[in-house]
This record gives sequence, C-alpha cells and structure tokens, in this order.
Amino acid sequence: MSHEAHTVAVRASGVDMFFGTPDNQVVALKQASFEARRGELIMLVGPSGCGKTTLLSVIAGTLTPQAGTVEVFGQRLDDLGQEELTAFRRKNLGFVFQSFNLIPTLSVIENVMVPLLIQGRPHDEAHARALAIIEKVGLKGREEGRPNALSGGQQQRVAIARALVHEPPLLICDEPTSALDKDTGAHIMELVRDLSRSPERCVVVVTHDHRIFRFADRIAEMEDGRISRVVDDPKLLDTTHL
Amino acid sequence: MYRLALNMLFGDRAKLAMLLCGLSFSALLMAQQSSVFFGIMSWTYTPMVNIRAQVWVSDPMVEQVNDAKPLRDTDLGRVRSVDGVAWAAPLHTSFVQARMQDGNFKLITLVGIDADTFAGAPAILTQGRIEDLRLPDTVIVDEWGAALMGRMGVGPDGKPRSTPLMVGDTFEINDIQARIVGICKVKRAFTGGPFVYTTYDRAKGYTLGARRTLSFMLVEPQKGVTPAELCGRIERDTGLKAWTSDTVIWNWGERSLARNTFWWFWTNTGIPFSFGTAVLLGLFVGIAISGQTFYSFVLENLKYFAAIKAMGAGMGVIARMLFVQAFTAGLIGFGLGAGMAQAIGRAMIEKGMPPFVMYPQILWATFALVLGISFVSAIIGIIKVSRVDAASVFRG
Repeated sequence: MSHEAHTVAVRASGVDMFFGTPDNQVVALKQASFEARRGELIMLVGPSGCGKTTLLSVIAGTLTPQAGTVEVFGQRLDDLGQEELTAFRRKNLGFVFQSFNLIPTLSVIENVMVPLLIQGRPHDEAHARALAIIEKVGLKGREEGRPNALSGGQQQRVAIARALVHEPPLLICDEPTSALDKDTGAHIMELVRDLSRSPERCVVVVTHDHRIFRFADRIAEMEDGRISRVVDDPKLLDTTHL
Repeated sequence: MYRLALNMLFGDRAKLAMLLCGLSFSALLMAQQSSVFFGIMSWTYTPMVNIRAQVWVSDPMVEQVNDAKPLRDTDLGRVRSVDGVAWAAPLHTSFVQARMQDGNFKLITLVGIDADTFAGAPAILTQGRIEDLRLPDTVIVDEWGAALMGRMGVGPDGKPRSTPLMVGDTFEINDIQARIVGICKVKRAFTGGPFVYTTYDRAKGYTLGARRTLSFMLVEPQKGVTPAELCGRIERDTGLKAWTSDTVIWNWGERSLARNTFWWFWTNTGIPFSFGTAVLLGLFVGIAISGQTFYSFVLENLKYFAAIKAMGAGMGVIARMLFVQAFTAGLIGFGLGAGMAQAIGRAMIEKGMPPFVMYPQILWATFALVLGISFVSAIIGIIKVSRVDAASVFRG
C-alpha cells in the first residue's frame, strides 16, 4: 500500500449527482472530486445550492451517486450492498447535524448512547461510555436532563458527544454552528477540533460560517456542483458570496 | 434500543394518552359488546340451565328450547320403554299471563314439573320447600319475578313502593289462584318473563283448553349409558327428537339443545348482526384512532428515525423499535379497556341488566384484535420510516 493510500481518508472522484426527472433535472454534483486526509479537519464551503450537502451525503453513503466513485478509508462505497453500507456507517461514521437532531423524549445520556446501542453494545457498557464522553464535553451533571432543557450550545455538545461516543474514524458535521452565536460556535469548533484531533480520524465540516474557517486545516470551496479550489489558509478565500 | 424505543413512547405523554384512549376504547367496545352479546345469547337457552335433566326429548320439529311443540301424553310411556332409560318425567313449559293482586298482568314462563320426582325443579330455594308444591294451588316463583310482580304499597316516605312477593302471597293464572310456597333462584330468560314452577298436572289446569300440554320429557340414562348414546336410542325407537343438555358453550356436543337454540337465535334474529356491528365498530375505531395517532407519533419523530438510519441503524432495528412501541401501547390499552369492560360488567351483573358473560375466550380474542390494531399501526409507521431517505437529515 502506498503512502498516499495510508493518508487519504476520503476520496470522491468524478461524482455526478442529479435529482428529478430527465425533463426537469437538477444537477447537484457534476464531476465533483474531493479528497480528505487522515488527521485533518477539512471544511466544505460554498454558496447555497452549490452541492455541499449533497457531496456530504454521498461521502456518508446516504446518497448513491449516478457516476463516479467514493472511497472512505480505502473502502469503495459502491462495492457495498445496502446492508453493508449501513453497517459501514454504523462502524465508521459519526454525525453532527445542523439542527442537532437530538431525540427530545430521551435524556441526554440516552441520546448519546444511541450509536453504541445501534452497534449492539450492552446497555451498561453504552451507559458508561456515554457518561465518560458527556464529561469530556463538559456536561457532567446534565446527563439525566432532557435536551430541550439545554442551551443551543449545550445541545450541540450533546450532539458532538453522540457523534464521537463510538469513536468513528470519520466525523461528518453539517453546519454545526449555524444555530449558534459567535462565541458558542467557536467553543463548539474548538471542541470538535480537540476531540477529533487524532492521526486516524478525519473531520469533514460543511459550513457557511466564515467565522469558524480558522479551525480548518484545509478548506475546499465548491461552486456549481464541483470543488473549485482547495486552500490551506482561510484568508485566501473570498467570503463575500458565502 | 428497545428500552430507548419505550422511552421515546413514554416521553410523548400527549400522544401516548391519545394512543391509549383509542386502544382502550376499542378494547372496551369489543370486550363489552361481545360479553353482552354472549350474555344475551346465554339467556336464549336459560330453560336448559334452570330445568336440570341429562336428556330432553321433544317433538321432531322442535328447533330450540323456547319453541316447544306439544307431545301426546302417551309418548312418555314410549320413551320410558326405551332400553337405557332410568326414568322419564313430563315437563310443561308455556308463556301465560298472570294477574297480580293490583290487577296488573305479567307474562310468565309457566313450568310444570312431575309431582312425584320433582325432576326439573329449581336447584336453589331461598324461601319455602319444594315438597309444598304438592299442596293445592301452589307455585314457586323466582326471586326476580317476585320482585317484578311485587305488591304496590306506600313507603315510609309516603311514595309508592313495590314490595317483592313472599311465601303466602297469591296471584292468578287464567283466573285460577296461585299461592306462593317458595321463592327460588334461577337464571333469567331471553323471553323476559319470570319462571313460575308448579306441578305438571296443575300446569294443565292453568293452561285451560290446551289439548296437549306435554312440552318436553326429561330423561335420565341408566348407569353406563351416556346421554348422547341414549339420545340415539330414543330417536331410533320412538321417532322423537332427543337432546343432551350441555350448556357449556365451548364444550357443546352434537346433540345439545342449547347449541341448537344458540344457533337458531344466531341465524333467525338480528342479534349477532347488531352486536357484530358494534364489535367491528370498536375494531375500526381502534385502527383509525390508534393508526392515526401512531402515524402522527412516527411523523413527529421522523427526522429522528432518519438520523438513526443515517447513524447506521438498519430498517430491521427500526421496525422492531416501532413494533415494541406499538405492542406496548397495545398491551396497556388492552389492559385498560378490558379492565373497564370488567368494571362495567360487574356493575351490570349487580343490576342484572343487561346480561354480561365475559368468557376468557372473549378476552383472548380482544387481546388478539388489539394486538392486530397495534400491528397495523406499526406497519403504517414502518412503511413511512422505510420511505424516509437517511440523507434527509442533512437538509436541515
């Protein structure tokens, strides 16, 4: 295996994705190619409708592209059947959603336990691990409360704890700070960066929020369904249209 | 995941309450209406319960116990001569008008039993002695009848009050005096009239002008002869119809008169249709309310189910979660509904109206139907969740 194979976490090559009927087709991705490395936090940025979320869904294996290939940690997703793909997500992916998606009728700790229980881990083990990560995200003492009793920032911390509790190598964050104020957003990104900083882990963040660009190792800019450029320094981006 | 599924269900108390309302109302309607139905149907063969004998013999054209076709008195001798008959006693049953002391008329079921053997006599007498029926002009009235035919008087508050008939009271049947010598406890009948027992010969007198008064013959088989076997012999040797007296609805034999009576009412009256409609209504109401509420519960949680799918839960896990939720609601709903049906039933039994018989089979059937409603609700939810794209969680 080459050195490159060891460092690449996600590779999407020539991905096409369109929605609708042939008469009324909406092209979301057009020959999109993207690469994320192990140990890095990469952001996908671009104007609304440029295909960021679609590319994220394709990488997560929740959408199957019409053309092109996607590899995650050396595994081509199109080689996997539906059940294998579900199992692959269960083991390898963690998600932080824009609207948190915490189940309001469950307690904080129960929400965090979900990925472990989906994996079939025993309840006691899931409880112990969830408790440990809740402590790491600074919510010790709030584990038995309901998510809606928490502030937006605290809810996103719970979502991060849920995304990382099963130690997935790929963390996918969809607009993680869009519902938060500037300071809370910065705290959340610090948390994501600190918790996910590992040579074996890769974090892909889709965002509009240029205030958090400074947390990225690299930024991939999208335009009209494809990656237009990748930069190491956020200052090189023109953020006026984002 | 199942514990979390239950917590999701119990966490949404408003939806849960609505769901339980639908399920318990449905269970209540199905169990209560079925119990009243079987109660009413059990009244149709009440004479079989109140007049005890192992074998009943009737005219071949008789279809049910309330429709006696008079036999000739000589038929009794023919039956007695059949091999395997220990004894045979005459029985008269008819509906006649009784005139109360206050001038009112009541329809009664007149039962004439053999004065020598008292075959067919009521099992429980709360007042008096059966032997006193041998005295002139005497009858035994059932408790409910005694209350129904009670003497009107004035209570201590000055308001009119009915006092139940007692031993020593009299009334008239076809202008012939009937003196009460006993009060018995019997099951009420579908036809509604009180049971008035007297001797077979006196019953002939009460039904003036009737050419034939032998309604049935009550027969006891000899030791070692089964009732069914004896029925076969009687039918073969006399050409009459012989019946067994099984009244346990779930153990009816082929020759049971109670069974024939039950099915006669089933096919010739609108009772099954009427109660069947109520039971079906309960089922449909249950499906509609529970299905709709559970669907709305699923819709409200759809984005969370989509998130769980995105996190790697297969449809199998999610389907099992929904089944756990639906069946748990079903179990609780059934418990509440069946409990309410029982409570209503107890109140009904105390008042004696309408009849209420909750067989364990009714509870099992209601349980199965409620679980069926839960199953349908879960399937509706599963179909909805299965159509949700896991990628939808990224769309905000």
